[in-house]
Amino acid sequence: MTMMEKEPQQPLSEWVTLISHDEFTFHILRSSANLSGTIRRMLDPKSGFKESVTGVCHFENISGTVLEKVCEYLYYKDRYQGMTNVPDLEIAPEVSLELALAADYLDCRAVACEGIMINVLI
Amino acid sequence: MDFAKTWSSLESSFRQIHTKETSEISFEELYRGAYRLVLRKKGEELYHRVVKFEEKWLSLDVRAQVVTLVSPELVAASNSTSIVERRFAGERFLKGVKQQWSNHEACMVMLSDVLLYLDRVYCIDKSIPTVYSIGMRLFRDEILKCPVASAAANDGTDQTILTLVIQTMLDHIKMEREGDVIDKTLLKSCTHMLEGMHIDNIETDEYRLYNYRFEPHFLQASRDFYAAESERMLRDSDAGAYCRQAKKRLVEEIDRCKSTLSEATMGRIERVVLGELIEQKLPELILMDTGVVYMIDNDRLEELGLIYELSGKVDDDKKELVKAVQSRIVELGKEINQTAMSPNANTDGNTLVQQTAAAIRWVEDVLSLKDKFDNIWAQAFNKDPRMQTEMTKSFTEFINMINFNRGSEYISLFIDQNMKKDMKDKSDAEVDSVLDKAITLLRFILDKDMFERYYKRHLSKRLLLGRSISLDVEKQMIGKMKIELGNTFTTKIEAMFRDMTTSTELTSSFRHHMSEIRANDPEMSARPIDLTVNILTSQVWPQELANNSNEDYEHRTIIYPYDIRKLTEYFTLFYAGKHNGRKLTWQPAMGTADIKARFPTKDASKDRVHDLNVSTYAMIILYLFNELPAGESLSFEDIQSRTNIPEGDLVRNLQSLACASRTRILLKSPASKDVNPTDKFTFNVGFKSNYTRIKVNVVASGNRVETDRERLKTEQKNDESRSFMCEAAIVRIMKQRKRLSHQQLLSETLAQLTHFKPDVAMIKARIETLIEREYLQRDERDSTMYEYLA
Repeated sequence: MTMMEKEPQQPLSEWVTLISHDEFTFHILRSSANLSGTIRRMLDPKSGFKESVTGVCHFENISGTVLEKVCEYLYYKDRYQGMTNVPDLEIAPEVSLELALAADYLDCRAVACEGIMINVLI
Repeated sequence: MDFAKTWSSLESSFRQIHTKETSEISFEELYRGAYRLVLRKKGEELYHRVVKFEEKWLSLDVRAQVVTLVSPELVAASNSTSIVERRFAGERFLKGVKQQWSNHEACMVMLSDVLLYLDRVYCIDKSIPTVYSIGMRLFRDEILKCPVASAAANDGTDQTILTLVIQTMLDHIKMEREGDVIDKTLLKSCTHMLEGMHIDNIETDEYRLYNYRFEPHFLQASRDFYAAESERMLRDSDAGAYCRQAKKRLVEEIDRCKSTLSEATMGRIERVVLGELIEQKLPELILMDTGVVYMIDNDRLEELGLIYELSGKVDDDKKELVKAVQSRIVELGKEINQTAMSPNANTDGNTLVQQTAAAIRWVEDVLSLKDKFDNIWAQAFNKDPRMQTEMTKSFTEFINMINFNRGSEYISLFIDQNMKKDMKDKSDAEVDSVLDKAITLLRFILDKDMFERYYKRHLSKRLLLGRSISLDVEKQMIGKMKIELGNTFTTKIEAMFRDMTTSTELTSSFRHHMSEIRANDPEMSARPIDLTVNILTSQVWPQELANNSNEDYEHRTIIYPYDIRKLTEYFTLFYAGKHNGRKLTWQPAMGTADIKARFPTKDASKDRVHDLNVSTYAMIILYLFNELPAGESLSFEDIQSRTNIPEGDLVRNLQSLACASRTRILLKSPASKDVNPTDKFTFNVGFKSNYTRIKVNVVASGNRVETDRERLKTEQKNDESRSFMCEAAIVRIMKQRKRLSHQQLLSETLAQLTHFKPDVAMIKARIETLIEREYLQRDERDSTMYEYLA
């Protein structure tokens, strides 16, 4: 009788789509996308928001360049999470500020920190 | 204005979330809106708008729906409606409240997802509750605390939705306890709801509505319920049924915590049930007609097991149960003692046999009592070592009761009986188990020295009269005693066995020696008498063996017939040659003789010849008649003066020779059952028997229970040897310590004397005599101190 029970238990799609404000489209594994707190909530089937129904997320305040880096980071994190001696993720200095803002917005502050640190190292 | 526009879009989306129309709303839009407002320092305003919005939503929309759920059946006094009606109304109410709450909770999750940025940046920054927890508080204040008009609420307290929820839940639990089927899942989600909110703004577990508001009521209601139930059950059912019910209730309550309430309550409700059903009722339960005594007597092992288990839950020591079991053991033990003591009216021969049988029965009864309680211990008491110790204490208690001082003697008699008769047809394993049983009993005996005394006496008769069935079994027994009581206890007993072996060797070498002498001495060869000698070390064998309870026996010299005297002289010489400096004292009391007796007829070739097996004393008596002309008689006094046999032994031997019908080798005048000093005896020429070999038993010479006079003597002797052991212990301690206080000396002496239970008065008396004999002295300045004098 709760919302959760009312939803038919559809298997979730493996891939989701992220679209930047300048219409760059990225297909990314749901499991990796969920590493961002904001994206995870957005896609949560329990809430039933539009994004969770369509599997498509629009980001009106993120550019394609930055969103690409975000996706790259999410994969990077998904792959190396919890491991030691991981290779650096290269971040160009010119996107670092924007990337930091996006990280804050997407609730994956690790990107910001690591990004800046990596940036400083380069 | 930017804020107003954004808020109005947020607000309308929130409304849609509450009405479950979310599929057209873009999360990203809402999130971005809130993000922008927070970035522009509008967080505070946004926060307050959200709170206001929720407050309004709950108070206007939700509250009305919840209030309609409160039906008259629900708030009516519980006795005016049927259970079914009440359950139905309750279920509907709880379902409705739960539904509203879970809707609200789900919405709050979504809202706080959308407002994540507000939570993360504004709320944490200002240390104020997150959107989600403010949502929970609002539900509590707007819905649960909403007052309810109630007919039953004339007790002064204000009925609210919350109290109604709690009351309904308790009502349902009570229904389940009374056997109804209820919706457990529903109650579980109500529990979950009450766990989701706190009584004020401190959000720790103990302040959750469940813990703070529900649980105390639940525990109190349970306490009342079980107090009433225990009263009713004590009145209506037996102790076994009570225990089963109590155990069932415990399991039920634990299950209820898992399936219906919170596992956090498990420990507390268990304590309530144990407190009401067990702790307060245990003494009463144990003492019921159907209580522990009944269970023990009827071997209700399962019920005893339950009582054991339940007592253990409220008292680690299980004091009440231990007390009940112990007192039952002592009671049953006393009965056994009583039975054994009862045929103790007089002490003539016949009752002595009865008493011996009673002794054997006592041992068997005690053993079966022990078996019974061992069984209870293994099956019901989970082989609890503590219980075993306590039960052993009780056995020790009744076996060593002051008014029953025969345990040692009885156990020794039991072993005696088995060694002489009962072992005959038993397998090794059975023999072993009999021996173990004897040892088990021995463990309970405190005065082990008494036992040693009796055991040596009984053993000596078995050995000297050749009554033991198997020497191997005898040795096995000694081995077991050694393990149980230590080396010192068995040294003397082992020495007895050694004496027997040496004596056998000695006898055969003496036989060889005599055959050489006879070859050279015509006088000796004319009368070839065979001699078997047992050389007994006097400190090792029981002294009363020789004295045989006759006061007039004072190293008197028995007058042996010439042939016998000659033989003993030869032996004495022979022995002195082998062992220089040893003194031999002849002890005829325990000896036997095989003699060939010829009963003459007119035709000498038809003389009847019998082999008689008689006691040494009887042999001496018969020798007198050998030398007597036919037809002449000897008076009792004649016999006494010519043999010097102690009176008691003489009487008994004459009785067996002249009074027993089958072995009437002498005739007595006047003929009667008793032997009097004036009686006259003649040789019974007309003696007839169908057997060639005849055994003449001396009256009452077997091992049997002592008479009271004998017992007194035994105890006296025992006290003497105790005094000696006690003195030895005191001197040993003082030699080592040089200086001790009275109290210390006392306790160390008690610790050293393990074979019996020493009497403090005796130790004091021993200390006094040691001071007199100048082994010790009192300290001149401090009279409580003793010093050792080398």
